[in-house]
Amino acid sequence: MRRLRAWLFRLAGQLHKGAADRELTAELESHLKLHIEDNLRAGMNAEQARRQALIKLGGIEQTKESYRDRKGLPMLETLLQDLRFAARMLRKNLGVTAIVVVTLALGVGANTAIFGLVNGLLLQRLPVPAAEEIAALVIKSGDSSLGALGFSYPQFVEFREQTAPICEVFGSATAWRLNFTAERHSDTLTIGGVSSNYFSALGVKPALGRLVLPGEGEHPGEPAILVLSYSFWQRRFGGDPRVIGKQVRVGGKPATIVGVMEKEFRGQFTVFEMDAYAPLSTAFDDSRASNFWNSRDIHMMLVLGRLKPGVTLAQAQSRFDVISRRLAAQYPVTDKDLSVRVMDERLSRPIPYANNAFIVFSGLFLILGALVLLLACTNILNILMARASVRQREMAIRAALGGARYRLIRQMLTETMLTALLGGIAGVTLGAGLNHLASSTHLLDIPVRLGFGFDWRVFAYALAVVVFTAIAAGLSPALRASRADVNTVLHQGGRPDAGGKARHKVRGDLMGAQVAGSLMLLIVAGLFVRSLRAVEHMDIGFDPNQLLNVRLDPSVSNFSETQTKEFYRSLETRVRALPGVESVSLASAVPVAYMLGKQSIYIEGRPVPPGQKAPEVLFNSVDAPYFETLRIRILLGRAFTDADSESSPRVAIVNETMAKHFWPNGSPIGKRFSLTGDAGPFAEVVGVARDGKYRVLAEDPQPYFYVPLTQDFAAQRTLQIRSAMPPDSLAPVVQHEIQALDANDPIEEIQTMKESLGGTLGYFIYRLGASLAAAMGLLGLLLAVVGVYGVVSYAATQRTQELGIRMALGASPRQILFLLLRQGAQLVAAGLLFGLAGAWLLTRVMSHMLVGVSPSDPVTYVSVAALLSSITLLACWIPARRARRVDPMVALRYE
Amino acid sequence: MKNSAQRDLFPGALEMMILRTLKRQPLHGYALVQHIKRTSDDLLQIEEGSLYPALQRLLKEELVKAEWGISSTNRRVRIYKLTAAGAKHLERQVSSFEKMLEGITRVLARGES
Repeated sequence: MRRLRAWLFRLAGQLHKGAADRELTAELESHLKLHIEDNLRAGMNAEQARRQALIKLGGIEQTKESYRDRKGLPMLETLLQDLRFAARMLRKNLGVTAIVVVTLALGVGANTAIFGLVNGLLLQRLPVPAAEEIAALVIKSGDSSLGALGFSYPQFVEFREQTAPICEVFGSATAWRLNFTAERHSDTLTIGGVSSNYFSALGVKPALGRLVLPGEGEHPGEPAILVLSYSFWQRRFGGDPRVIGKQVRVGGKPATIVGVMEKEFRGQFTVFEMDAYAPLSTAFDDSRASNFWNSRDIHMMLVLGRLKPGVTLAQAQSRFDVISRRLAAQYPVTDKDLSVRVMDERLSRPIPYANNAFIVFSGLFLILGALVLLLACTNILNILMARASVRQREMAIRAALGGARYRLIRQMLTETMLTALLGGIAGVTLGAGLNHLASSTHLLDIPVRLGFGFDWRVFAYALAVVVFTAIAAGLSPALRASRADVNTVLHQGGRPDAGGKARHKVRGDLMGAQVAGSLMLLIVAGLFVRSLRAVEHMDIGFDPNQLLNVRLDPSVSNFSETQTKEFYRSLETRVRALPGVESVSLASAVPVAYMLGKQSIYIEGRPVPPGQKAPEVLFNSVDAPYFETLRIRILLGRAFTDADSESSPRVAIVNETMAKHFWPNGSPIGKRFSLTGDAGPFAEVVGVARDGKYRVLAEDPQPYFYVPLTQDFAAQRTLQIRSAMPPDSLAPVVQHEIQALDANDPIEEIQTMKESLGGTLGYFIYRLGASLAAAMGLLGLLLAVVGVYGVVSYAATQRTQELGIRMALGASPRQILFLLLRQGAQLVAAGLLFGLAGAWLLTRVMSHMLVGVSPSDPVTYVSVAALLSSITLLACWIPARRARRVDPMVALRYE
Repeated sequence: MKNSAQRDLFPGALEMMILRTLKRQPLHGYALVQHIKRTSDDLLQIEEGSLYPALQRLLKEELVKAEWGISSTNRRVRIYKLTAAGAKHLERQVSSFEKMLEGITRVLARGES
């Protein structure tokens, strides 16, 4: 208690320092006067009297100082002192401060932006009550070649029923890009079809109206209802509360809006935000997905579970293992080798793939961020070391005047810390700005959300980064400067940092480290860029240029099959007549987009053995001009013709891989297979088309076949138009033609094939990776160049005298240039060696992220190393050239 | 800047002497120094620089109190007075000091024989 009171007094003393100080000064003054008077009486002269009195008192300032040490809080006081002094120093050296702050802002900005991303994607739990109970259930079954990454609906129901005692299983299946019409205006929405217990298990609340209720919408044919996401509600309806009860059309079918989701909940996937939620029966009604409810082969449900309190992941896992084994035995054909992994929901992001490369991806970019930060640190360290040697005199004098070493170090560290904090604030602002930019930009064809996750973790991370920087970059110069011996320094005749051989070595090491770090960044960037180029130049089997895709669903108008056919026929005729149109065709699927058809096939004469599954192959229903419009070459046989009609014999065209896979010996032409069963009916292979890309760009060649639309009816089709004009300029005209034919506007989407390929399944992820890595690489290069330039020019200035002597002794400017260059080149070479080794190690994790280029791609390594060495040598050459022009006389007088 | 006198005094000695002196009469700082010097026959040299910090300590612990007054030579001085708490504190200090002194004396006497 007494201690506390004393402490409070001290604090008060701190605040009332002015008044107390004045009182003490007055008291000491009067003491002195009294003493002087006594001394005068004792017979001293005035000067002696004063001198003796002062000696006795021990100096007013010292007395005051020792009094003050007791009075205030010395820690706080010296801190304030240091801070005031530091602020003064920073203001005085505005240039240096600005460089350090900007350098650090770049480093911290890049880091916080990336960490913000990772934080949002991997570290933050879902914004729901008791989020730690939520586990992701990741399914893995025998046949995952086609990317089966979810549960089939029957599997989902079985797991939900059989694990009920320990866990509430709920899930959703995404209906990509459904047509949505309200107030006479259409949009394309991505809708999360949710199990009826989805919201109750998550524990989320509606912002308005109600959510999907338990028991609702798990049977096809129930009335269609829709819950809007908060952001879609704001975007599309301006936050109008009257949307509740509004009649709209979803995928052409009438539906009622019943609620709006709370703002905080932005979907289970962190990356994708659904525009709206609907019960499964609305999202997957009979006309769109008749097999969804019964087939064990349609794996669309992404499933989560809320574990009952006290149930661990391991306990849940063993329960799921038991059920998986039971199902695998019960359904040997479809559920062969079925297993379910119960894992922390955060580890399953963004999509619960069985092998998730996302964590590795995040880790890689965090490492790149750390490298950028290290480069920034190195630069700052360089600057601070230069400044520290300039201030060595100051430090030596301070030490001579009785400054304790720890106080000097603290002073220097306070300065660094203050600068680092400024840089950190600028960096976090920059990072938040980048993050905001990423979140407000509509990047993609699906609602991807990258900006999020700026919470305390990000700030803690940024603060850790700042403190690390300040200590890493500030401690060593501070230690050095404070170690300065006053005699040496003052006798150096004003030349700071003489004989700092060790220091030159440290600078050289730093320069090498910078070259190494920047090389690693650039190699990673180079690999990503080359991978992107490889993807963009990849043979995708068709010509995506000058193509416009118009996805249509005339079922909105309740057309009969005949009417639909008639609609498409007249549409094709009309569009073909438009100016600039070269070729028009229809298809049920677009390659590398979200619509996929998959079929079990039965080869004639090769019945499927009992207990085995017929092979499944992707396919497309197309009309006769399709191959011409997409420029897919027919290698063997013929394309479809108008003669392939409903009544003519069934025909099919297979791709090269399918031909090789099913008919390895001899031509497939004339061979037959069935889509229904071993008994037929059979379609005859009439042609072989070139291989292409069908699901994603990075896939291996896979079997694929085409059937005529006349023989495989599909209401939803995509009109593909090849034109001589820019394809998007055609869009309004085509839209007009369609509306003339069908006032209900059956257009679901219009986009060019190039845009379609830029989507998530296409180039997007490669472009994102390449641009992120390239930005980091360029940042690293910039920092390294500035660093190398700084080190060499500083070294040249430091050696002015030596160079002057060399020149006076007859060294030619050329020799001076080479002397400086050789040292620079040695350091760069050493840096390159370390950098190459580091890059080789770092890129081992990248093998799954690259397409068409190996992680040890020699072209990238050699060209990046060459580029970096020439740029850094240039950065050496400029200051070296300047040094060679030194006038020996001036240089010698420089002392 | 520690001088030998202060180093030789045990901790608390200066405070004890200040309190003892003030018990006789209230004094200002300079007079305190002079008094201690005189009464110890110049054996004890008070470092004047350490006097004021010591006085501040005592003030803070409310063992003395101070007010501004006028000296005999007509100067504005701060006069220190012993408080009741100060008197009690002094008593305790002195008795414990005497005990210690006795102990030391005994040890020293034993060492001689």
